[in-house]
Amino acid sequence: MKKIYGLLSAIALLMVLVLAGCSDSGGEGKGSDDGKSAEKVTKEGKDVVVAVASNFTGLDPHDTNDTLSNSAEKTMMEGLLGFDKDMKIIPLLAKEYSANDEATEFTFKLRENIKFHDGTPFNAEAVKVNFDRLADPNSGLKRHSLFAIIEKTEVVNDYEVKFTLSEPFGAMINTFAHPAALIISPKALEEHGKEIARNPVGTGPFKFVEWKPGEGLEIVKNEEYWQEGFPKVDSITFKPVTENGSRIAMLQTGEADFIYPVPTEQVEGIDGKDGIEIESKPSIVVRYMAMNTLKEPFDDKKVRQALNYAVNKDAFIKVVMNDQSSKLDSVIAPDVQYYAQQELYKFDVEKAKELLKEAGVKEGLKANLWGANNSSAIKAMEFLQQQLAQVGIEVEVFPMEAGTLSDKIWSVQEAKDADIELYYGGWSPSTGDADWGIRPLVGGEDAFPPNAYNVSYYNNPKVNQLILDGLQTADDAARAKAYEEAQGIIWEDAPWVFLTAENTIAGKKNYLKGIYLLPDGSLSVSELEIVE
Amino acid sequence: MVELKLTKKEAYMQQSMENIKSNTPFSEFWRKFKKQKLAFVSFFFILFLIALAIVGPFIVPYDIAEPDYNNVLTGPTAEHWAGTDAYGRDIFSRIVAGTQISLYVGLTSVFLGALGGTFFGLIAGYYGKKVDAIIMRGCDVLLAFPGILLAIGIIAILGPGLGNVIIAVAIFSVPVFARIVRSSTLAVKSTLYVEATKSIGAVPRRIIWKHIFPGTLSSIIVYFTMRIGSAILTAASLSFLGLGAQPPSPEWGAMLSGGRDYLNIAPHVTIFPGLAIFITVLAFNLLGDGLRDALDPKIKD
Repeated sequence: MKKIYGLLSAIALLMVLVLAGCSDSGGEGKGSDDGKSAEKVTKEGKDVVVAVASNFTGLDPHDTNDTLSNSAEKTMMEGLLGFDKDMKIIPLLAKEYSANDEATEFTFKLRENIKFHDGTPFNAEAVKVNFDRLADPNSGLKRHSLFAIIEKTEVVNDYEVKFTLSEPFGAMINTFAHPAALIISPKALEEHGKEIARNPVGTGPFKFVEWKPGEGLEIVKNEEYWQEGFPKVDSITFKPVTENGSRIAMLQTGEADFIYPVPTEQVEGIDGKDGIEIESKPSIVVRYMAMNTLKEPFDDKKVRQALNYAVNKDAFIKVVMNDQSSKLDSVIAPDVQYYAQQELYKFDVEKAKELLKEAGVKEGLKANLWGANNSSAIKAMEFLQQQLAQVGIEVEVFPMEAGTLSDKIWSVQEAKDADIELYYGGWSPSTGDADWGIRPLVGGEDAFPPNAYNVSYYNNPKVNQLILDGLQTADDAARAKAYEEAQGIIWEDAPWVFLTAENTIAGKKNYLKGIYLLPDGSLSVSELEIVE
Repeated sequence: MVELKLTKKEAYMQQSMENIKSNTPFSEFWRKFKKQKLAFVSFFFILFLIALAIVGPFIVPYDIAEPDYNNVLTGPTAEHWAGTDAYGRDIFSRIVAGTQISLYVGLTSVFLGALGGTFFGLIAGYYGKKVDAIIMRGCDVLLAFPGILLAIGIIAILGPGLGNVIIAVAIFSVPVFARIVRSSTLAVKSTLYVEATKSIGAVPRRIIWKHIFPGTLSSIIVYFTMRIGSAILTAASLSFLGLGAQPPSPEWGAMLSGGRDYLNIAPHVTIFPGLAIFITVLAFNLLGDGLRDALDPKIKD
């Protein structure tokens, strides 16, 4: 008899599980609505909670290299320049700027009458202190590499600074707009030293209150902010919530007002319900499958092109990205400066087979595909495996833990020793400039691992020269021309299977306005307001 | 229950007839075993699973690796009994084809574990003293780890893959078998017939294999069956964590893992493989229970 009870309770348990699985689709949060056009939900007070996917690594913009920490830093500190919604450069603490034709000298005129949160006035001296810190090779700062090129920073007068570079660098203006170039109060730098990562002081719309790693970051309104009328909310709390499901539940119940990222497969399920709005926008994050161009048979351009023809990108976007991304028609995404559209490799199995045949590749070619072990990367890799099976390529998928993966790729010292064959990866060029989208990834020998991210070991002297040309001038038209040509050659050489340009996806309650993700995936809250 | 309907006399006659027909240990076991209804059903279910494992891949309605991007994540329908997964593959076909993998992993790993465990258990039990102490302390060390943790540790050394999962599960089965076999060995060793064999001058190897080992067999069989269930579960867990079967293998744990992102929009992707694991493990456990009752000489009917 005992056993029967056991069995019965097991079945009961199972039923509960099944039912629990079904009940979620209804949505029991307050103000749930079956219709797509949701009713307005309202909020009391002006304190906003933002749930994000991981912890901040620090709050020193000069010493953090993840987009998430940058997002938090940007609420408290500002740079000379910044990016607007579409990744176009806008002046912030600088009024205007100029450069010489060789792209070696940059002069900035600064805005006057701005104070840091601690009362220190913002002036040319403060800018010099910050960039001297960044350019100092002994600083050990994570972002030093971006600014190592600055030879000296001079104070021309109280509100004018001049930077001199050691060699021409055409993408420097974008580098100044990068979140790594935020200006910290010189007084705070002196006071806190290394501890500035926990005591950030800037000129931004919000002031630092408290940061408990793992629990959250709290910031409050800067009453003396220099832009009239901003900020429009009293405080913001950032909470790190790693589990996708909990983050979504927090938004549904109103525990959080804004969350990102939202996993692509959940978008349809929650959009328009409980007063939730999903914002899915094109980003500059590209997804690709790199092929090791030094290894047979991928050293043959025809094979690489064949693989591009063999993968159905429409299906990739539909199945892997749940329609939350767009086709990639160059090595960089459309919102990146100097992007030039290329003609897509249309999905054509016959053509792919023909090209493989011409290249002398026999059916049953085996190849290993490496990538990260998060569920979306695994899904993408499985998809590629299915696609390449159509043209007789047997792909074995190796999802790897982040540490193992970077070990296997970036501990290789000699290009010929690299085991990598196929690699599924992504890239977000945070300067918004073509240079940082191309040079580290396909920029010839200088970019080979372990120096940079050229995992396809692509090395075309012509492209290398064009990249150099693009850097040696600050002239827009000349740079555009160089990058256009480079993109054409890279597209033709196909060191990657070009897959998709991802969307950034955020979820918010519909009473929030002015909060958005930039195309590089960082968050902007300076115009945030709560509307009724 | 059937017995209740018979009169006492009939029951007695039936029993005595059976006794007359055959009195071998096997028939005795079979008679007892048949009374364990649940175990009996489980036994046939497992036979069915084994048959499925052999012919499954040839009779499935859909190609298990063939994606259909126009039919992703559809719920159970007449065409797709268990719905389709994120790539539009038929889940029912994949579960049927996956039977082979789960049973193979369960059976081989436990068999290897039992082999090792029995060997060590017999030696430890028979020779005693130092040998016993060394072997049993070794087992204690292994048993101090939770099973799954030990398996993950072994996978971390050997690398992911189904073959290594088998080795990992086998290794952590060894100490449990060793313990059980040792205790039966101790009991059998002190029986009169072993004493007698010893006194007529049989060598230890003969005593162990011819006289002690058969005596421990029943407890090995019981534990073997019970262990298969947990081995299948462990293998599925490891695959769920990405350490076992690699895509696109239709291993049940891997299928569960692939569906966890869709729990609230397409629960069928996880429910059906989960059910398959659940029922299979339950069947092996019930069978093990029934076998124990049938093989235990202390339980008289």
